[in-house]
Amino acid sequence: TQTAKSHTGRAAEHSDNSHLALQAKHTEQHEGRLYNIPLEELSAVFPHGLPHRFQQQVLTFNEARVMVRKPALELLAYLKGSNFSHPAVRYVIYGERGTGKTMTLCHVVHYCSRQGWLVLHIPDAHLWVKNCKELLQSSYNKDRLDQPLQASVWLKNFKASNERFLQEIKTQKKYMWGKRECTEEGRPLREVVEQGLARVRSASDAVGVLLRELKQQSHRGSFRLLVAVDGVNALWGRSTLRKEDKSPVCPEELTLVHNLRKMLMNDWSGGAIVTTLSQTGSLFKPSSAYTPQELLGKEGFDALDPFVPIPVPNYSPKEFESCYGYYLERRWLQHEKGQGWGGKRGMRVLGLELVSSKWAKKLDKLNTDFCTHRDAQSFAVPSVSLQGPRTFPPCASGLISSVCPCTPRVST
Amino acid sequence: MVTAPRLPELQECLENSLRDAQGGIVGVSVQAQQRSGQSPGCSEQSRPCGVQRGRSGRVRPAGPGPCRPPSRRAGPWAERGGAGMAARAGRCCRAGLSCGALLSPALLSPAVLSRAPATPRWGRAAFSSAPAVSGREGPQAREGSVRRRGRTLQFVRSAAPPRTERMAVDQDWSSVYPTAAAFKPASVPLPIRMGYPVKGGVPPPKEGNLELIKIPNFLHLTPPAIKKHCAALKDFCTEWPSALDSDEKCEQHFPIEIETVDYVSSGTSIRNPKARVVTLRVKLSSLNLDDHAKKKLIKLVGERYCQETDVLTITTDRCPLRRQNYDYSMHLLTVLYHESWKTEKWESEKSEEDMEEYVWENSHSQKNALDTLLRIKASENVSNVTKEELLASEVVKNYRNSVIALKNEGETESNISQYKESVKKLLNIQA
Repeated sequence: TQTAKSHTGRAAEHSDNSHLALQAKHTEQHEGRLYNIPLEELSAVFPHGLPHRFQQQVLTFNEARVMVRKPALELLAYLKGSNFSHPAVRYVIYGERGTGKTMTLCHVVHYCSRQGWLVLHIPDAHLWVKNCKELLQSSYNKDRLDQPLQASVWLKNFKASNERFLQEIKTQKKYMWGKRECTEEGRPLREVVEQGLARVRSASDAVGVLLRELKQQSHRGSFRLLVAVDGVNALWGRSTLRKEDKSPVCPEELTLVHNLRKMLMNDWSGGAIVTTLSQTGSLFKPSSAYTPQELLGKEGFDALDPFVPIPVPNYSPKEFESCYGYYLERRWLQHEKGQGWGGKRGMRVLGLELVSSKWAKKLDKLNTDFCTHRDAQSFAVPSVSLQGPRTFPPCASGLISSVCPCTPRVST
Repeated sequence: MVTAPRLPELQECLENSLRDAQGGIVGVSVQAQQRSGQSPGCSEQSRPCGVQRGRSGRVRPAGPGPCRPPSRRAGPWAERGGAGMAARAGRCCRAGLSCGALLSPALLSPAVLSRAPATPRWGRAAFSSAPAVSGREGPQAREGSVRRRGRTLQFVRSAAPPRTERMAVDQDWSSVYPTAAAFKPASVPLPIRMGYPVKGGVPPPKEGNLELIKIPNFLHLTPPAIKKHCAALKDFCTEWPSALDSDEKCEQHFPIEIETVDYVSSGTSIRNPKARVVTLRVKLSSLNLDDHAKKKLIKLVGERYCQETDVLTITTDRCPLRRQNYDYSMHLLTVLYHESWKTEKWESEKSEEDMEEYVWENSHSQKNALDTLLRIKASENVSNVTKEELLASEVVKNYRNSVIALKNEGETESNISQYKESVKKLLNIQA
């Protein structure tokens, strides 16, 4: 009975606030809780952009639960209170590796799409400056290079997430695609996207046209525009691409990057720009770099300045407990005594601060190990001695102490 | 039966064999007087070199004699003992082997060995008394060859008590170690141990400890010894001026410090090429430099300037004499000072990369901020706002300070949060 009680208690804790109105009302008191996104909505809002880890979790648990955390709440508060006649404000989410920057961005994206904004979500800008198989010389500007594959992939995903907007927004200019094809003025933007998808050669130019149109029309107020870029430091870094004569390519020589940089300037109004810095996937940056100036460099900082930096820290004890409880509830962490009062109390006694995704990775691995050895009872238990009112389960202690990257501090 | 008169050689041979047969000192000493004349000669010949000699030192006739010494009497132990001792005592004369005395085991007893140190002193003359012959030498002695030094007896000196036992507690230490000297365990009355300890044991003691001898020691520089040095040098010194009683006053009146080194060595020459090096140190705050001049001087000298201590260090050694190097360093300082005050035409091309620290005026940050503010004002339909007004406003000043701090001091949590607050105020963002 005790376990059942704790189950229901925990379920109530991370109850899903999937109701539309409730989600908009996420406030400080909801901090640490997990809210649910229905799966069909997930595929509509996030054709791309969710971290790989989270996607695996969604597949495993058959539900998408996002934790409400302070940085996201702060950002949502800024967005709610922003003046859309003023130039777009740039927000830069930064933090150490594995702390939840991309998840924060996804939370904001989900909120904005729920609120009816047009979301321009670039899942990882690093993908545009490395590992590009095809580079074509741009027909629009001889000095620039096109990336047809990346552009077409992005256009496909963009179309999937913003169908109705593409129908409503009309072009304001006539665009010529090569010698014969053109898009007339006043046609829905959908045709531009179709053109880009059909003729892959002009996909990059289609992206450029799209961005230009959205930028020019956003101030009218018929829609709100959110530009969400993950790994924005890629735009001002170096690239590993090379031209045919083996000379290195600067990012500004790429059409996609050039147009995106223009989008990130604050010379338009009627929306917001939310970006994330990312060292994982970055090129020629040391793994210890995480602050804005380190990752953006001088050029990037000058381009984005003035921006609002939003730091994302590791899990707080409360958030950790919530996540741990969620995993227990979903029976992801499986050992008999770990679910009882002793388990949680033991964790509080330890007072651990854990990195979110890194910890989850290790926990999963250890859990699979544990499951295979469960019958054999041959689970290796490193000794962590705790003087609690209840003897802390050795398995859990073994799990946690060998998982967490930092030394556990016993707080009495 | 009357013995026939013998040939002198035969007689000699018989006497030798008699001596051998007796195998003792007693038998040998009889012959000592006769042989004494020979022994020194032999010893002189055989002393220089320890290898087996030829038959030069031998007086005895060659050829096996009729009577063989009972060389087999002394066993292999005698040989070995004899050989070992021979190796140790270099001065043992092989001429003594002419005695051909056998070394019996009794003679090799420790009692005899302890007496041995006394022997080399008069071993030359009466070496015959030294039982230096091993069993094997008997037949060889008979043959008349010189022994190897390795076969002679070695004499171990008995150890005298160390000097430390006779040292008073209040002795004058500077007479024990007046100059730099190696560590002598018998002269240092300290129970020092040094070295890697044996497993489960302690570091080795100081006796025969190479580690202690290898390292430099300062036993010759104890405070009383240094006091004595100072007292001796005092006669050659002049008084320190009483007005310069603090470092700041010295700094103020004598801002330039010249450092030279004199070298003394034990040798025939007093010259040392290292003595020509001159180091000049001066604080830039004591020079009359304005902002531009200071920056230019720092760029000119490069690594010779230390940011933390504000000290310029010029080291000169390109001239052969110290005075010349000193003049050169003063000349360098003068030239640097005057050149840094001049402004060249091309200095106006100084770009942002050349700047030593971040300057907000005319930077991208200022441009962006002003553009953003102008756009905000335009959207609110507020016109007639000039750039100067915007620059003078509080929010822009705040923003400027935070950006300068961020760029110059690097990124810290406090810097970034300060920047965040200033941007929020600038763009009027409300939570």
